[in-house]
This record gives sequence, structure tokens and C-alpha cells, in this order.
Amino acid sequence: MLQEESDLSLIIAQIVQKLKGSNLYAQLERQAWASLQRPEIKLESLKEDIKEFFKISGWEKKLQNAVYSELSVFPLPSHPAAPPEHLKEPLVYMRKAQRPVGEQKELLNKWNEMGTDEPDLSLFRPVYAPKDFLEVLINLRNPNYENGDSLSFRTHLGLIQVPLKVKDIPELKELFVELGLTTGQLGIDDSTQVPPELFENEHVRIGQKVLTEQDSAAAQQYIRQGSPTALRAELWALILNISSHPEDILYYEQLKTNVIQHDLLVDSLIYKDVKLTASNDDYYFVFEDYLYQVLLCFSRDTSVLSHFAYNSASPPKSYIRGKLGLEEYAVFYPPNGVIPFHGFSMYVAPLCFLYHEPSKLYQIFREMYVRFFFRLHSISSHPSGIVSLCLLFETLLQTYLPQLFYHLREIGAQPLRISFKWMVRAFSGYLATDQLLLLWDRILGYNSLEILAVLAAAVFAFRAVNLMEVTSLAAAEAVLADLSTLKVMPLLQIFLFATVT
Amino acid sequence: MAGKVKWVTDMEKSVLINNFEKRGWVQVTENEDWNFYWMSVQTIRNVFSVETGYRLSDDQIVNHFPNHYELTRKDLMVKNIKRYRKELEKEGSPLAEKDESGKYLYLDFVPITYMLPADYNLFVEEFRKSPSSTWIMKPCGKAQGKGIFLINKLSQIKKWSRDSKTSSFVTQSTKEAYVISLYINNPLLIGGRKFDLRLYVLVSTYRPLRCYMYKLGFCRFCTVKYTPSTSELDNMFVHLTNVAIQKHGEDYNHIHGGKWTVSNLRLYLESTRGKEVTSRLFDEIHWIIVQSLKAVAVNASPSLTSSTANDRILKYNLINDTLNIAVPNGEIPDCKWNKSPPKEVLGNYEILYDEELAQGDGADRELRSRSGQSLGPKASRLRDAGRTVLTTWK
Repeated sequence: MLQEESDLSLIIAQIVQKLKGSNLYAQLERQAWASLQRPEIKLESLKEDIKEFFKISGWEKKLQNAVYSELSVFPLPSHPAAPPEHLKEPLVYMRKAQRPVGEQKELLNKWNEMGTDEPDLSLFRPVYAPKDFLEVLINLRNPNYENGDSLSFRTHLGLIQVPLKVKDIPELKELFVELGLTTGQLGIDDSTQVPPELFENEHVRIGQKVLTEQDSAAAQQYIRQGSPTALRAELWALILNISSHPEDILYYEQLKTNVIQHDLLVDSLIYKDVKLTASNDDYYFVFEDYLYQVLLCFSRDTSVLSHFAYNSASPPKSYIRGKLGLEEYAVFYPPNGVIPFHGFSMYVAPLCFLYHEPSKLYQIFREMYVRFFFRLHSISSHPSGIVSLCLLFETLLQTYLPQLFYHLREIGAQPLRISFKWMVRAFSGYLATDQLLLLWDRILGYNSLEILAVLAAAVFAFRAVNLMEVTSLAAAEAVLADLSTLKVMPLLQIFLFATVT
Repeated sequence: MAGKVKWVTDMEKSVLINNFEKRGWVQVTENEDWNFYWMSVQTIRNVFSVETGYRLSDDQIVNHFPNHYELTRKDLMVKNIKRYRKELEKEGSPLAEKDESGKYLYLDFVPITYMLPADYNLFVEEFRKSPSSTWIMKPCGKAQGKGIFLINKLSQIKKWSRDSKTSSFVTQSTKEAYVISLYINNPLLIGGRKFDLRLYVLVSTYRPLRCYMYKLGFCRFCTVKYTPSTSELDNMFVHLTNVAIQKHGEDYNHIHGGKWTVSNLRLYLESTRGKEVTSRLFDEIHWIIVQSLKAVAVNASPSLTSSTANDRILKYNLINDTLNIAVPNGEIPDCKWNKSPPKEVLGNYEILYDEELAQGDGADRELRSRSGQSLGPKASRLRDAGRTVLTTWK
């Protein structure tokens, strides 16, 4: 991650710059001033004494967590930093979308049950669905790429035609070393057959200790072996560096006020999506109203725009009527720069199992989005980007299950056409909730989405026998239609560590 | 093992018939020699009634105990629990212990309830103590949420008053019997909605008490957000979770039917409230079930109508596992059977309570674990070879 000395100092400088503008910095300053009253702070050794005070009182830990949090989304050194566009964003057009007062009052009253009274959606269709996105990816070509270059890539028979570098199984085994056969896992070693003394009890105890220490980095390392259900909500919050300060709750309330006061076209897309997906889901239908609350606020949250600094995509722009092309009349639409596609609400749904306080749920989702989920529907060369995941999936299949791969290709059932929707949604809505949460534990633990591609390949491997017998794409889809009984961790373990390579 | 089990049923339900047929059992009529009769409630009444009833022979099994109505009728159930508690108190059993305010420590699981019209005056006295409270009226003999309503004013149940002017025209017997209970208006909500639990319990014998709980129970959610507001007291979509009611609501969804599995519930509660609280909750639910059975309480006719595809699969498997326990190995029934079935046949049932096993270890364990004193290694949650004993007490 950190390669040369000069890169390192640049990164340090950038992080310091970023943190200086944060709330934490203001708090540290206040604490430092207040500490002058304390007897142990002496003038002659002021700097050391204050540092010591920070250490003992836990403020150093908070700073560490913040730095760690910044590092995890830090762009690769060669990535150009985009200007902070949101500072220039006037959002004047929002005033035109203001709702009449009566409507505002009504919406405020039914804020908690929007699921029962949505607008007429019959004329709305989702802007795009995963399969449309896949078509775009399939047609990506690198104009600088010469065919004669990489022999191995020339023989790549999958749908993705961009030669990005992806890991093979030996490299994946190194990355995911904690998932190995000799390490205890939740999702395997906590089943009823296994006495809890062998692994589970100790693992829970360690988890509690990590929480007491409030150490983000330790939590991230810990969660690679899975999180106990009772500790998961807190562990995720620690890893994502979310704490509910009054200003965070206030921010959420302001977004909510924004929703009440202003109408946005994208709201209808959100309603439609929730109604089509989460409302019909066996697990998530209960949380329909929470989903509206989170997503409507999300679409108005301009702080989300900051993730475009490390996202090679750009937020969609729109122009005030009659001023097409004139930059000073350009606005971001929707305000957060993210157009929801079909299935978008499924990113939020599993989180409802962990957080029932709306502003906390909102913060966790937003952080998950700007760290991970955005990579699943924007085009980039990042190893966790959807293009790389697709290529990783196809390469794994072609390399380690060649017979299956060729057979499916022969019958017109390119495997990616089936697994794409799983990866784009990070498997939400396809796996049972407890299994999904175990999977997302590892996404957080390894700070990478590559595990989605590995799981997709593992699923194909698991159902290989049935798949070899099908003769059409529809039949292949049928074999892989129901993933709700799958146990994620054994599948991953067998695929990575128990398959002959 | 001579011949196949001969079965009869008067209920045209595929989840039953498919299960009988797949075992190769032989269908007969009720006038012939039968071994297994899955009866509707009306038929049960006839078989066990004084006038029209007949004695079952040693090789015949039916799907309800003769005294099942002691549990299905709400007034009888309440009477049984009250009587059971008094009996324990008289025996000096530690289970009947009370706290300083006179509340039962371990047996307080029924809200204040009165029979109407019989206890009308007692009810009025209680009502006046807290006049802003809400009460729920339920007809004794009905199911599926029929006839239930909420009240918060005495005038709403004038009809049941013993001294009411109407009673001179209407005789007591035609006034329908109701129970009235203090309404719990702060239920646990998930996603802002009220829900209840549908659990399946199989009782194979009463003496000794042997009962099994099906692992795949479910929660039923209301389609509308819960509110204790008095303006919505007569909105049944807010307060009553029965599918028969909810499925007429605008927002009823036929794909999932507004239901969650109990394991979902457990995951949600553990994630949001912690493991200890959740385990204690489920322990207490199991405790209530066993105590109610001991006081003799079970519902006569769970719905065998399936509302969704998942539902149909669940009920088919439920009946399958039930038959495996009730008629082990497909042998002709024999009333002298008294062995506990081997654990392989349990399927998705778990042993809720087995009196024989419990008595082997001494009944005083029961109280020790209830009051949280330290237990020996055997009484803690066992995990031997895939079978988990549900209860931490015996």
C-alpha cells in the first residue's frame, strides 16, 4: 500500500490536511486547552505531558481510528485528486422543488410509514438494471491495448475484454490467510455440532476486549474470522469509525427536513425500487419504511460527493434550463451524485438487522457506500471495482474449472451473465441474512470486495455437477436461482484451500 | 410388523394426504377398522362426547386429546392456569413463589383476565382502578381473530353487564361468553410493527408429559404501523396479527405473507439487543409453554390452509415430522408404547420437555435454574451430537 518515502510524506500531509478540517480536530484542540488545568501537565514538558494525557484518556485512540479510516479509502498514489466540487455547488435549483406547506406537514406526519402511501409509480421505470450495466462493461475496450501483448489474456474467453490484473488462487490464499482450514471461523466453527469451548467462547471474549479498547485496526483484523451476532453492530461502527455525536444526529435531521420540504424526481425511483425489491423480500419487507427514510435522505446528502475524489467516475451533471453547457449553471443531480439503479435499496436492507436508530443506520449505510458499494456500479480499474471483480470471477472459473466454463459457454450461458447480479448487489437478497452478514464481515475485515468474486466462483464450483448437465442458459439460471440455503464460509474455504490447483 | 397403518381423515388437506400416501399407508373409511384418524374439531367432539362417543381401541390414535378444549377455549384456559397456580401454592411449591406486591415470580405470564358476563362486577372494580387503560375482548370459542375488539370505556361492554336492562330480555345463555384481558399496549415492535409468534408444539403423551417444539415457527406481522393512539383502537390491521385478518389489508403481500421465521427473529434480536436478553426471552417462552401444558392448554385446530408457497412447504414438513414422532417407524399404534422416540426421528422438532428424563435428574433442578443459581454442567445448554436440548431447566 505505501511504497516510497516521498509518497508516504505526501500521503501524511494530505491526511493531516483533511483531518485539520474535521470535528475531531476541534475536539482535540479543546481537550488540549482544558488539560492545562490538570496538575500533571507541566509547562517545561508541555508537549510530552499533553501527548501522555491524550494517550491515557483515549483521545489518541480516536485519532488513530480516524487516520486509519482515511487510509482505507485513500486513492492509489498515482490517482489524481479531484477538486472538492461540492464546495462550489449552489443547489439553487432545489428551491424550485420546494413542496407546498400542506404537503410538508403531511409528509412529516407520515415520515414513519411512507411505505403505505407512495405516489403513483405506474409511469416510472428504474433508470437502469444490473443487466444494462453489464452490457456496458462487456463493451469496454482499452484503446491503447495491443492484441499481441499478453498471451494469456488473448485466450480469455469470458465477457470482459479489459486486461486488468487479477489475483490467482495462490495469491488469494495469501490475502485471505485467516480463512484457512486451520483457523477458527464463525460460520463454520460455531455450528451446533462443535462444542463452544473449542473456538466460539474465546472468540467472543476477544471481540468484547477489542470493543472495550475501541481500536479500529484491531477490530478489522478480528472480524476476518467473523463477528458474533451480538457484537456485530458495534464492531462495524468501530471499523467504519462511526460514532453518534449530536452533530451527526443533527445532520441527519437536517437531511430529513430537506426531504420534507423539497420534492425530487429521483424520489420516485427510490419508491419504485423499494417496492420492487425489498418489499417482496422474505427478510427485509419489515424494514420498508426505514429504507425510505435512509434513501430519501441519502439522495440529498452532498457530503457523499466527496467520494468522487477517489472514484474515477464523476457525478452526473445537469444544467439550468436554457443554459446548457455553461459551467456556472451546472448542478449535480441528484444532489449526492448517485442515481439509484434497480436493486439499490438492497444495499441498505441488511443493515436494518443491526441498527434500528435512523441516524445511526443512515451513517453506517453512507460510510459503507462511500467505502465499498460505489465500486460495484462505477467503472474503474481498482481491484475492488466491478470490472476487476468480473474479470477475477471469469478468470478463476476458466483457470480452475475449465470443463464447466467451456460447457457453459458452449450452451450460450456465459457464467458472468448469471453471477453479475450477485456481485453488483454484494449478494444482498440472494443469501440468507445471517450468511450475508458473515460475508460482509469479511468485506470489512479485508477492506476489499474481491471476496464477492471468489464466492461467486465457489458457488459455481459447488453446483458444478448439476450445471454440467444443463443445456440452456435458462436451465443454468434455474440451477443457480436459489442461494438461500448456502453456507458461505465452508464454500469459500473449500474453494480456496481445499481445491486442487 | 403386520400390515400397513390404516388412516382416515375428514379434512381434505393436501399436506395431510400427501404425507399419508408417501408412507404407503392405506386409506379407509371411518366405519372400517382404522389406526390413525386425523379429525376435525367437530368430529373430535363427537368421538369424545358423552352421548355419541365411543371408546378407542388399543391400536388407534387420533390427533387430539379428549380434553383438548380445556386449552382451545380461552375461558377454560384461563381457569386452568389460575387453578394450577393455586394448586402449586397450596402444595407449597417454590414455583408459586410471589414477590412483595403479590405478583407471581415465575408464573406471571397471563395478564389480568376476567370471564364475562360471570365476572363482570369484579372486572368493573379493576377497571375503575385505572380508567385510562385499554382492554381486549375475545370470544371464548372462536379463532382466527374473529370477534375480537378493544375497549377503553365501560359503555362499550354494557351488553355483558349482569344488571343491564337488556338482560331481562336476553337470557344468560345466549349472551356470548367472552374473556376480557388487560391489553398490553407497549408490545415489542420491529420495523414499527406489531407481530406475534406462531409456534407448533406436539404433545405425544400427558402422563408422563412429553412435548416437542417445532424449530421452524414463525412471526406474523401487521401490515400497518403500530400505534397505541386511542383513535386507532378499532383498526384491526394495527392490533391483530392473524393472517385471516391481515390478508384483507391493502398492503398484504402474497409472496412472503407478512411472516418471518423464528430464526430471523432471533438473529435480529441478538444483533440489536444482545445474546443474553435473547436467550432469556426464548427460555421464558419455552417455560410458558410447558407450564401451560401442565395446566392443560393447547389449541385445537391450527390452520392447515397454506397462504403462500413457503407456507405449504412448511406445513407439509411439519406434518411429516409430526407423524414420524406419533407413529414411529410406521408401526401399527399400540397404546402400551411408552418409550421416548430416538433422536433421529425428531426431524425439525426439538424436545421441549420430557418428564421421564426430567424426573430422572430430580425435580428440584427446575427451581434452581429459574432463580439463576449456578447449575451443574449437565443442566447447561447441551450440544451432544447435533441435538440441542431447548431448556436450561428440567
